[in-house]
Amino acid sequence: MGSKLTRAFDNDWIGPALVSLVAIVVISILQPSFLSSFNILVLLSAIAVNMLIALGQLVIIAVGQMNLALGSIGGLVAISFAAMMEIWGLPPLVAMCGGLAIGVVAGIASGFVIARTGISAFIITLAGLQIFKGINLGITEAQPFYGVPQSVKDFGNVAMAGPIPWLVLPMIVAAVGMWAIFNRLRIGRFILAIGGNRNAAELSGINLDTTVIWAHALSGLLAAGAGMMLVARLQIGHPAIGEDWLISSFAAPVIGGAILSGGHVSVAGTFFGVVIIAIITQALVLFAIDPFVVQIVLGALILWAVGINRLRELRVAKAKA
Amino acid sequence: MSIETSPPAVPEAAGGTSQIQKILFSNEFGLVVLIVLAFAFFASLLPGFSAPFSLFAIGRQIGIDTMIGFAMMAVIVTGGLDLSVGAIGVSAAMVFGWLCERLGLPLAVSIPGAILFGALLGTINGYAVVRSGVHSFIITLASMSIFFGVMIFLTKAEAFRGLPPEVAALGRLKLGGKVSALLAISVAVCIALSVFYRYTTLGRRVLAAGANPRAAEVSGVRTGRMFIACHALTGALAALAGLMVTARTGAAVPSMAGQLGQDWLLPAFLAPVLGGTLLSGGRVAVFGTLLGAAFVNVITAGLLQLRIGEFWIQACLGLMLLAAVLADRGRHVLLRRRGLV
Repeated sequence: MGSKLTRAFDNDWIGPALVSLVAIVVISILQPSFLSSFNILVLLSAIAVNMLIALGQLVIIAVGQMNLALGSIGGLVAISFAAMMEIWGLPPLVAMCGGLAIGVVAGIASGFVIARTGISAFIITLAGLQIFKGINLGITEAQPFYGVPQSVKDFGNVAMAGPIPWLVLPMIVAAVGMWAIFNRLRIGRFILAIGGNRNAAELSGINLDTTVIWAHALSGLLAAGAGMMLVARLQIGHPAIGEDWLISSFAAPVIGGAILSGGHVSVAGTFFGVVIIAIITQALVLFAIDPFVVQIVLGALILWAVGINRLRELRVAKAKA
Repeated sequence: MSIETSPPAVPEAAGGTSQIQKILFSNEFGLVVLIVLAFAFFASLLPGFSAPFSLFAIGRQIGIDTMIGFAMMAVIVTGGLDLSVGAIGVSAAMVFGWLCERLGLPLAVSIPGAILFGALLGTINGYAVVRSGVHSFIITLASMSIFFGVMIFLTKAEAFRGLPPEVAALGRLKLGGKVSALLAISVAVCIALSVFYRYTTLGRRVLAAGANPRAAEVSGVRTGRMFIACHALTGALAALAGLMVTARTGAAVPSMAGQLGQDWLLPAFLAPVLGGTLLSGGRVAVFGTLLGAAFVNVITAGLLQLRIGEFWIQACLGLMLLAAVLADRGRHVLLRRRGLV
């Protein structure tokens, strides 16, 4: 009796995907320029960057923690990436490897302290946020690096084919990679197992410390990628990159059905969460609505998604009982 | 009389030594020692450090940071947290500016009005957390975005600069020639909160609910209501902190706590954690929070006057929080080994 339909709705990504579709249809009827190729390019660029940010938080949510330092790691990598190219004159690819390495090291440092001391991830990453931000400002003295090579600028602003920007490439790599990690690789299953039930995971022989450090290393890697994509997009290494990631990094995974206590995440759901946020942000711009309203809408979206997830949880609990 | 040889058969003596040990091992005692050492260190290096103006400026900032710390402490008691303290503080300060500049209400009305408004925002947070059963992190993450967004939308990001002159005068007021009036306010609130948590029924119930909600519920404490009360108190204290910043600046500025009020997060956690408030809830360190804020500000002011770039100080504050939680962990391990906890 419609059980197939309800089961489909138990999939994390169906709901957000439908919402995205409806939003696209409604907005493009009201404002046909929404589907112009320039607008699609802008939209896809925003989605690409925000997807990496969201995945960086998703992997930490999966292990049952939170990462407040995500944005400050991204910002530190962004300015380091720009500085390596401007001051040391390194070729972009080498600088990129350096940037990714910084992100991974920063993530491993957070993960190591959290795993070894058992202090809440919230406090450690709050300290990390301040430390990485302080290093960022200490290096830049709040001044941007302007000497970004043309090839990097092109990567962030030129279309690959039609309205599809090059920035989509790293997003696809990251999304497929994270999907494979969570669904096909041992480390991903370990991360989810710890998030689902820490004690059970430990009793089944999973090394908690190593897995938590892995999760934070992945998070740092994704933050680094997003930070460098923003350098390409903005064409400068701005020290403020990463300051506004906190809210959206949680909003997208939560809209995508991630359970904040850990153990249950969806890469596809997160993708549609990112799409919904990007569409709403873009629509507010198209309809010339005060950009500060975006903040209010994002907050409301989080509450709405949390409410839906909670209802689903309760329904699942009832069905089991 | 050394600890090893004192016979436990004499309860008086045993009680006496463990009392002294307790004090020596307390966060508060450690902080006092650290503050004295840091102060002596900077005062010997910098001749201007102990000048009246420098002391006044440090004291004023201690007053503000203490209040921000109290705001977070009031909700840490529940085992939760409130990311929206900064957003609430700014929103309340803007409401204050609106009440006395646009509506022309006297300070005696607009100050309580702003504090009540803060308490109201806190109550909304508390209600949402308790009724939904979702962790306060995510609820207040959302409300931080909403409160701040609505505030910016309504004020159009413009400051209230035509406040009554008494406001700025309060920020400049020196009691006894060098003590900031803002510090005096925080000390008064510190005493009031100590009495509240130690001697009032409501305060004790709040602590019980935070320490072990289920046990408290079974013994007749309505934990849901207690948690909502904690969030309301957080809102009121955040509003007070917002008003104190307004007094220091002489204007209600929407950007006073940074984007979304995030700039308050570090001082908000640093002071209570340094002071010995348990993040898992149920234990407060009111006096410790004041000392924690004092320690942070003595170090910050010292490093600033030593001309270590102001940007690197941010990294130092982060390291300090890290060091504080690590030291706390180490102290616990040590105390447990000695069987003192």
